Amino acid sequence: MKPMSRFEYPEELQPVFKKAKKLEWITVAYLISTALVVFFTMGNSQAMKTAYFEDLLSLTPSVSFLIASRIFHKKPNKDFPYGYHRVVGIAYLCSALALFAVGAFLIFDSASTLIKQEHPTIGIKVIFGHEIWLGYLMIGAMLYSTIPAMILGHLKLPLAKKLHEKNLYTDADMNKADWMTGAAAIPGIIGIGMGWWWADSVAAIIISLDIIKDGYKNLKQAVFDLMNQIPKTVDDQETDPLLLEIEHKLKHQPWVKEHTFRLREEGHIYMGEALVVPHDEVNLTQRLEKLGKEISELDWRIQEFLLMPVQKLPNDGEDGRPA
Amino acid sequence: MNSRRYLVYNLILVVALLTGCQNFPKDPEKTLEQVTNGTLKVGYSENPPWVVKGPAGPTGIEPDLVKAFANGLNAKIEWQNDSEQNLMEELEKHNLHLVIAGVTDDTPWKSKISFTRPYVELQKKKHVFCVIMGENAFITKLESFLRQQQTTLETRVQP
Repeated sequence: MKPMSRFEYPEELQPVFKKAKKLEWITVAYLISTALVVFFTMGNSQAMKTAYFEDLLSLTPSVSFLIASRIFHKKPNKDFPYGYHRVVGIAYLCSALALFAVGAFLIFDSASTLIKQEHPTIGIKVIFGHEIWLGYLMIGAMLYSTIPAMILGHLKLPLAKKLHEKNLYTDADMNKADWMTGAAAIPGIIGIGMGWWWADSVAAIIISLDIIKDGYKNLKQAVFDLMNQIPKTVDDQETDPLLLEIEHKLKHQPWVKEHTFRLREEGHIYMGEALVVPHDEVNLTQRLEKLGKEISELDWRIQEFLLMPVQKLPNDGEDGRPA
Repeated sequence: MNSRRYLVYNLILVVALLTGCQNFPKDPEKTLEQVTNGTLKVGYSENPPWVVKGPAGPTGIEPDLVKAFANGLNAKIEWQNDSEQNLMEELEKHNLHLVIAGVTDDTPWKSKISFTRPYVELQKKKHVFCVIMGENAFITKLESFLRQQQTTLETRVQP
């Protein structure tokens, strides 16, 4: 069998993908810079240490996106006859796991601070001969890790939908996690200044619940994608409406008596196959080829759709057709 | 998503709090309040030249600093001499306000108590005072005091 012919994004999406790559490079540079800023203001504050590790961990989605983007578009070859599409799913799994880990790390860390009743110490720092309470510097660092993250996340969401890029979508979630923890840390640090030693941890716990929710949702979806679950949309993880279109197409072929099909997600793209029971065998090969072409032209994401004529449909388990 | 509104609330809170507070940061357990015009409980363990045990209480670089600091707060000093181990445990239980023993910032006590920022550096060792965790008003006051002494100290510890 010859390796698959088409691969990845159509021409009109190439500039969108380029823009996404550029955004991810900016994200990597920005996150490294926030990690450095936090590193220099953390003193011996546990809260800031957490923020630092979190910044490093939140690099995962953008880095995995950039690595995957160098691999997935390679042409299929003898060793990888299905192409390299699935690397996107693997990158998505890494990102989702990192997002979940950030949430889990944060909740664990904050809860243990509360249970052990560790009162965070924030002293003074001398900058250019001036004494300043380190808390104010931390607030400055948090503002820096809040506003750009918010903008980056918002820019990524529409691109992720267009490109069917779940990894990019997870990275937007990660940016959301970053700015929310930053925004929560500010009243937390002020709370510490007010003598409420628990303020920072309580703020962090509230935010970490939201991060864990996003992380879990994506982690589950990443695992399901690798297990060949039927294709789901990027933003709300509903069954892709494209399946209904395929069903519609197959149902309205006058020469098809019965049919069944299934579709799976391989990173950005879909692959699938159908079994059809024809009424008769007149021009069967031409009909099959034409139908296959029509279905794969429904959307750029359907990169391969194979049709197989059979005498009788198998009846072992349910098929992957939309209900 | 009401995320933007959330951020705006935060910023308002920041501004409101920063403009409204004179004594900021505060102590969760009011250490600075108790010590001012009261008693400063200091644990010391001998470690010359930083802390030298004497017949009339400790002398040396660090006790001198503590005396000047207490003087500034109009506080009496209650000295307690013990091993470093015991003093750290007392400090952790909040039975002391301050521990001096020529401690440097690489000691393994770090997680249960806090240090001031290094007040002097000698032979690549950063010397610190040990304080109760999270008593930020007291700590900033002490750090600020130690910083004012920095130049005098540097000439004093010159080998």
